[in-house]
Amino acid sequence: MKVRDKRWGWLSATLLIITIGIVAAACGGSDAETTAAETAAAETAAAETVAAETAAAVGEKKIVMGFLSNCEGPFGPFWDATLAGYYTALVQFAGATPVDPADPKAGVTGAMVPGTEIPIELNTNYCCSDDKADKALSEAKRLVEQEGVNILIGPLSGDEGIAVANYAKTQPDVTFLNGISGAQDTTLKVQAPNFFRFFTDGAQWTAGLGAYAYNVLGWRTAVTIGDDYSFPYTQTAGFVSEFCSLGGKIDERIWPALGETDYSSYIAKLPDNVDGFFLDVGGTGTVQFVNQYTEVNGDDSLQGKVMGGAFISNPAIIKELGSKVEGVVAGSALPSDATDANWTAYVDAITAAFPDQAGNAANIFLAGYYNNTEAAILGLEAVAGNIDDAAAYQTALAGVEISTGVGPVTVDGNRNAVGPNYVVQVSDTGTTTLFTVADVDQSFGGAFSTDTPNPDRDNPECVAGNPPPWAASIKK
Amino acid sequence: MATSEVGATAEIVPQAGPRVRLSRGTVFLLVVLALAVLGIGLQAASDVTLFAQITLNGLSLAGLYFIVASGFTLIFGLMRVVNMAHGSFYMLGGIIAYLIQERMLNPDPTSFDLPQATLSSFLIPLIVSMFSVALLGVLIQQIFLRWNQGQELRQALITIALSIIIADQAVARFGGIAKEISVPVRKSIELPIVGMYGTMRLVMLLVAIVVGVILVLIISRTRFGMIVRAGVDDRQMVTALGVNIQKVFAGAFFLGAMLAGLAGVLGGAVNSVNKSDDGKFLLISLVIVIVGGMGSLPGAAVGAVLLGLIDSYSDVYLPDSVTNYGVLLTFFLLVFVLAIRPYGLFGRPA
Repeated sequence: MKVRDKRWGWLSATLLIITIGIVAAACGGSDAETTAAETAAAETAAAETVAAETAAAVGEKKIVMGFLSNCEGPFGPFWDATLAGYYTALVQFAGATPVDPADPKAGVTGAMVPGTEIPIELNTNYCCSDDKADKALSEAKRLVEQEGVNILIGPLSGDEGIAVANYAKTQPDVTFLNGISGAQDTTLKVQAPNFFRFFTDGAQWTAGLGAYAYNVLGWRTAVTIGDDYSFPYTQTAGFVSEFCSLGGKIDERIWPALGETDYSSYIAKLPDNVDGFFLDVGGTGTVQFVNQYTEVNGDDSLQGKVMGGAFISNPAIIKELGSKVEGVVAGSALPSDATDANWTAYVDAITAAFPDQAGNAANIFLAGYYNNTEAAILGLEAVAGNIDDAAAYQTALAGVEISTGVGPVTVDGNRNAVGPNYVVQVSDTGTTTLFTVADVDQSFGGAFSTDTPNPDRDNPECVAGNPPPWAASIKK
Repeated sequence: MATSEVGATAEIVPQAGPRVRLSRGTVFLLVVLALAVLGIGLQAASDVTLFAQITLNGLSLAGLYFIVASGFTLIFGLMRVVNMAHGSFYMLGGIIAYLIQERMLNPDPTSFDLPQATLSSFLIPLIVSMFSVALLGVLIQQIFLRWNQGQELRQALITIALSIIIADQAVARFGGIAKEISVPVRKSIELPIVGMYGTMRLVMLLVAIVVGVILVLIISRTRFGMIVRAGVDDRQMVTALGVNIQKVFAGAFFLGAMLAGLAGVLGGAVNSVNKSDDGKFLLISLVIVIVGGMGSLPGAAVGAVLLGLIDSYSDVYLPDSVTNYGVLLTFFLLVFVLAIRPYGLFGRPA
């Protein structure tokens, strides 16, 4: 009997460790999701290898473009949107053809450097992370060091971006363009010369929000609640710095772990005696947080109590929450209700490539990958497909101006985008733009620089004075 | 008869109880525990409403944990099968109910307002989902586990494989975004001291208590329960006495999977249906069962309450900068319990 008991002890300990491992790795794998992409990629690769051998290439080096996103973890639901953004840019700017317009996972074929016959070989072999920096890093390393990728588009999430940008420093011959990871440090602090972000960062997406809360809604005190990692730190930094610069006070900053499912006690902890709170609980957590909040508080909508970060204005999230988020004001890098030529052209490009994804035009996950892939292609065009000299390609990239749904976008000296930001209100048609803040740069009107502390649980401090230049114009 | 018993008792020489010797580690852990209780007490005194709210949060969460873990411990206690697909049963419960409810409510895709469930469009998905998961449990037991009787590691590995397959299929067919199961009750009600509180969380707690009572009745009052109890103590002897143990095994799997399915629906209504819940709830079940003692229902209840309260208190009473590490406390609890009671709080050597 004793032997048996011991065995059981060991067995249960082993199984517990295995389970912890499975949970930690968020192994809900999605082999099924990648299979189609893998098959398509393999076919594409085979076809393009032949083309590469026959084409009179300008340079010696084959152009191999890699893709890195999340197919599992809290941002796994946006895998399709990121693929759609990546492939739409390849269809629009590199003349590729979708294999199946109904399914971005099926991939595209025939991508070429514009104006040449030089093929762009696409590597979509797995390319899946789960929002964890170590997974993104090992996948980026595999793509670069084993698969021979020399232009990498990705990753998706904040901590992943910081890790990949640091890795970029060790691979000067490879050019990295961000997917949609939005931590400030990725470009402002890491400053890898070969890492580009042709999309604004998380703090930039909150431009105008603090001033709206203070000047229009009349908030004087607020609480912030966001997942405990670099991207929500960055978004919260944007809101806090603008709100406090005008004289607002932050009572508390609450940081649930990313992947939390029961937010009830955090909700109980939100103080009643503040004017409102800035919500940046992301991914699948947004749906759970809002559902639990409205249940506990008996509210039908969060309107007036909440200012939202990037997630609450995401079309996929709005679809799940409906009227519970109606009227909520949020910062957004994209205006879903725009009707101008830039936006129409952008939506048309998505519709032409993947008609079912048109509703995702205002989804930052799609737009981020679209912008950065477009930049990579235009950069290739500028060097006529010759990437033998990676530095020359990177210099060309730094000067590229891309056309996006929000107009032309360029990058600053730290290779981070300067672009407009929108303060939007969730409505039954998606979002309605309340106003636009033009040309927001990463310094956020001077609040952030290489010398300011990294955004984290306590930084930036809440200090009055020196409001950003746009704050004064945001009034009732 | 009575006299002889008294006589027999009188003959027993009273022995000194074994001296309780606490190791330094145990003393340290006890001190940490005392400090934690003191800390919570001090903070609770400053805001009683908050304390009441999060205690209720912890207890209702414990209710959910108990429903999942009771099935797990039942299967384990009787069959010595560590069913690593138990979390998948939980997840499937939520997904199946959500899909049925979606069909029943047939929401207008262009409408912004979310559909509102009626009593029938909540209960029918709940019942169908529970029984579907229960049947799946029996099928898995019959097809994969029955012919591996006694091969514990093999059975555990088979169920791990199944859980991975189910998780992959779920994400491929259901997608990754969290969905909410609509409920027919008012969202929240006013409670004394606590204030406004979510109705479904109270329902969840109530269901857990009812489930607990029914399980205790089944285990203590029915023939099935008697065999289960006997099986937990000595499975070989039960078989030798001519009981058709296979039927009982199938019954245990049916009941265990059904409970996981029920919890999945309740969890989906309170916390949303999320495809990554499988791993989380399997881990929780394992921790609860190890803390409470393998195969013990009261152990599962106590383990669930401890875990639920730790989860809830650590979210609020830990300093903001370390709430992220609240999950570590769960494992401190595990270490603490195993240090003083290696078989778990209510466990016995098999």
